[in-house]
Amino acid sequence: MALLQEIKVPLLSVNDTSLTIIDTPFTSGEKVDTGQVIVVFETSKTSYEVTAETPGYIQYLCSNGDDYEVNEVVVKIFSDSKDIDLSVETPVKKIKKLAPINTKEWSGETQFSSGAKKLLEENELSSDLFKGYDFVSKEDVMAIMVSSPKTKKNKLANSVSQMPKQTRLDIIDYKISSGKKIEIDYLSDVQQAGLTSTVHIYVDTAFIFGHLNNALKALKNSILPLVIYESSRLLKKYPLLNAFYNSDSISVYKDINPGFAIDIGKGLKVLNVKNAGELSIQHIEEKILDLSGKYLDDKLELEHLTDITFTITDLSAEGTFLFKPLVNFMNSSILGISSIDTKLNRCVLSMTFDHRITEGKLVAGFLQELKIRLESYRSDNQSLMNQDVMCFKCRKKLKDDLADVGFSKCITPKGDEAYICQSCFKGY
Amino acid sequence: MTNNPIHHRHIKTALTIRLVEEKFLQLFSEGKLNGTVHTCVGQEFSALAFAGQLKKKDFVFSNHRCHGHYIAFTDDVRGLLAELLGKETGTCGGIGSSQHLCNNNFFSNGIQGGIVPVAAGYALGNKLKKNGAIGLVYIGDGTLGEGALYETMNIISKWEIPLLIVCENNFYAQSTAQQVNLAGDIESRAAAFGINTYKGYTSSPEELLSKAEEVISYVRDECKPAFFLVETYRLNPHSKGDDDRDPAEIEKFRNNDYLEIFQKTNPVYYNQYQTEITNEIDVLLSDIFNDSDLALDKYYSPKVPVENADWMALDPIGKRQVELLNTFFKDKMVADELTVFIGEDILSPYGGAFKVAKDLSFIAPERTFSTPISESAIMGISNGLALNGFKPFAEIMFGDFITLAFDQIVNHASKFYHMFNKKVSCPVVVRTPMGGRRGYGPTHSQTLDKFLIGIDNVKTVALNTFFDPAVLYHSISSEIHPVIVIENKIDYGKKILNHQSPNYYYERTDDLYPVVRVRPILSKPTLTIVSYGGMADLINTILNDIFVETDLKPELIIPSLISEMPVHLIADSLEESGKLLFVEEGSASGGIGAELAAQVAEYTDFKYVFRRIAALPVPVPSVKSLENLVIPDKNRIIQEIKYYFT
Repeated sequence: MALLQEIKVPLLSVNDTSLTIIDTPFTSGEKVDTGQVIVVFETSKTSYEVTAETPGYIQYLCSNGDDYEVNEVVVKIFSDSKDIDLSVETPVKKIKKLAPINTKEWSGETQFSSGAKKLLEENELSSDLFKGYDFVSKEDVMAIMVSSPKTKKNKLANSVSQMPKQTRLDIIDYKISSGKKIEIDYLSDVQQAGLTSTVHIYVDTAFIFGHLNNALKALKNSILPLVIYESSRLLKKYPLLNAFYNSDSISVYKDINPGFAIDIGKGLKVLNVKNAGELSIQHIEEKILDLSGKYLDDKLELEHLTDITFTITDLSAEGTFLFKPLVNFMNSSILGISSIDTKLNRCVLSMTFDHRITEGKLVAGFLQELKIRLESYRSDNQSLMNQDVMCFKCRKKLKDDLADVGFSKCITPKGDEAYICQSCFKGY
Repeated sequence: MTNNPIHHRHIKTALTIRLVEEKFLQLFSEGKLNGTVHTCVGQEFSALAFAGQLKKKDFVFSNHRCHGHYIAFTDDVRGLLAELLGKETGTCGGIGSSQHLCNNNFFSNGIQGGIVPVAAGYALGNKLKKNGAIGLVYIGDGTLGEGALYETMNIISKWEIPLLIVCENNFYAQSTAQQVNLAGDIESRAAAFGINTYKGYTSSPEELLSKAEEVISYVRDECKPAFFLVETYRLNPHSKGDDDRDPAEIEKFRNNDYLEIFQKTNPVYYNQYQTEITNEIDVLLSDIFNDSDLALDKYYSPKVPVENADWMALDPIGKRQVELLNTFFKDKMVADELTVFIGEDILSPYGGAFKVAKDLSFIAPERTFSTPISESAIMGISNGLALNGFKPFAEIMFGDFITLAFDQIVNHASKFYHMFNKKVSCPVVVRTPMGGRRGYGPTHSQTLDKFLIGIDNVKTVALNTFFDPAVLYHSISSEIHPVIVIENKIDYGKKILNHQSPNYYYERTDDLYPVVRVRPILSKPTLTIVSYGGMADLINTILNDIFVETDLKPELIIPSLISEMPVHLIADSLEESGKLLFVEEGSASGGIGAELAAQVAEYTDFKYVFRRIAALPVPVPSVKSLENLVIPDKNRIIQEIKYYFT
């Protein structure tokens, strides 16, 4: 017994995220031969026939006239008719008919902005996609492109849809959002092969912000701008980490465009810090702030989301010790930043990489060099750091203390370690 | 000084005027009067001779020195006392005080020459009503310096308007002696316009009274204007402390004053009258002091804006805007006998510079007035007609010239209703074509709308090419307050909704002053454009270019009542688009876009971007290439949208 062929709902146009089945010529359990039409889909423009690639026994997991989402399995062919459990009702949940993008009936001629036209041409997209639109701006084109990674000039594994798992326990099904599905698609590209590995290293962060905070305007005590800055420079020496696995070859990017992952309420996005290898830390900080602002204001454009050659994901604000980041599609590595342990003055950097392209030794070398570079920012002069020491009672800073006596280390009534100025210590 | 006895009734009235004014001065020095007082002590018989001898149906327009005229015409001492004491029971509720009185056909205003055309318009109304009533306007010798007087004298003579101008010559304009500023002769100024002129003296009251009676009859019977010069002298300062005259001069005139002489020659009567009148005044005052001041809500209460959410689709009309305007006015002139059309060069067959008035003078010749080049008089006469119950439509040939009528709009039309405590209203309409793109150059191409939107109690309406202007004019016709209508030279020749950009929905609200909205059929707008009048017409034709070039999906909102912007509708659109653009044909500084920005900011609580596109701050040049740069054209608008918003 064997499953010979599985037919999923195909993506025929970016507009059609679900298709209607308009013909199922056989009934489940019947024998079919190679070349016979076994199911017909209707798209917004035409009908699409699927033929059997092998002789076998057919099982329909769909019914005529209903809509099914792209990638759902609707037909299976087995080698043996016994494999087909006809008592099982079609397990594929059919979806509700989706409302068209534009809810009003309209059939006028669509107007395209010149920006939209250019974008269509660049991406070899047909203007027919926008039938029923009144106006199509660049943003509209981008929305279509982003909502469907298939329109990009790369191929992705169809990893999202699998046979729904059966269980006798009571369960509640939550539908996976389209954004999450895109994320799964993106991450499946590399991870699906199962050949990734992660290397961790720690960086001594004691007094690392002494000078750094003077250079940063807003992202004080954040190591992210520095990591982007140093890793971008270091990547020139490690081209394989700025590359991607392309069928039988390894494609190495000439540009170094690190992206940083962000997820603050509007979905996980990776934003492109273009040519970070050429930017100063201040510029990188500005770039991060600018992109984050655009992310929050929903003003991201295609160029902010694409052409990322290497990814950095910063979970340092989340109290993490270490984690395993997942390599983004069309990347060969990803660098994760965990939280700085303020007691131990250290922070773990983790790099997951595509083993089809490189191996742990190279990545460990990269991390080691990165560690050295980062630690070189540590201030030798501890007094610089201590300038920010604050009296826990009057909140006066050491540098503002005119008494010229210094602060004492103390234990607060709550039991915390803190500093106290002489005035407060003496009680006036 | 004549020794002819005059009726004691007149002496008592004159003495009442004097004693009331002397009481005012006393109250002022006691700090009980707010503001100022201009007394006519010494000039009382001028009031008696003219205002005192009119019929009730006649009317009086007076100036800042009006107490005597008021008492002589209305006999309302209590109303005057209460008015100056700022009481609700005052003739104008204490709003107007000394210089701004209104009661039973008596009007006064603190603007000098400006009252003359208003009086002429009121008198013209009486002539049209054929009610046998005449008008009287008091001016002083100081008023001879103002041009509105001469514009009006020309017209009242030409049109034979029954108005008597009484010039009270007290030889001082405030503190300046007459010889410093007055050239030539006074009487011959009126005579030059073919107006019968007369002269009399307050020092000879009996002669003055009889001459006045004679002139009043002349004006009434002949239905012609007259000019009466009264030589007089005020024994008190212009106002209160502003007197640098030679005390010997004043003393000389005081000795020649009729009431002073009467006091000496008839002390028994004088003292009796004085006691009676003084007692009467004191009794009135003790009563008035108990009266309350006018409450603010009786004077002003903010209007609750009417928000009409009903939208109706717009359809093209195969007619030019000017044809529709002309049709409206032809119908209106026929249907409503109180409608008057007035302006320069409007007689048919010419029918006005832009032909809006075509054939009106054939249809209603008695109510179509083609005027000399006298914008101030056009506006003033219209104000007077409006006060007298007519619906005047004044045409200012070019919007640029509206500045010449500005005093009449701001200091008269706008104020009458409130300053006369809502006893009268002034439903005047002034129409004028604004805008450039015709190469008429600096003084015939301006857009001065920004000076016209902030006048209290005056609506400013701008026509557009999106729907029949008659809709607006029907609403305007039923207004009881002044309306300025901005028309557009270029729009006159355009057909209504002749251009419709594809993929837009054209609609308007069902309001008295509809707001037009041009919105994408399906898409959410990503740019809200507000514009009006001729500029809105241009924007409409380039909507698609804006989209193609800038990638922004514009929604165009076109208010017609530009003095009260539809902020809620604009905010609704802005909430979707986040970007607001105002395009105006005038220059930006202190402009209509500035006002809109303030109002939208006050109304909204979300973030958005606001920009203006406006004319450059220089006179509109005649040369086409430069005119197209100074007034925003298609290219500049698209460029600036790109620059500001993308």
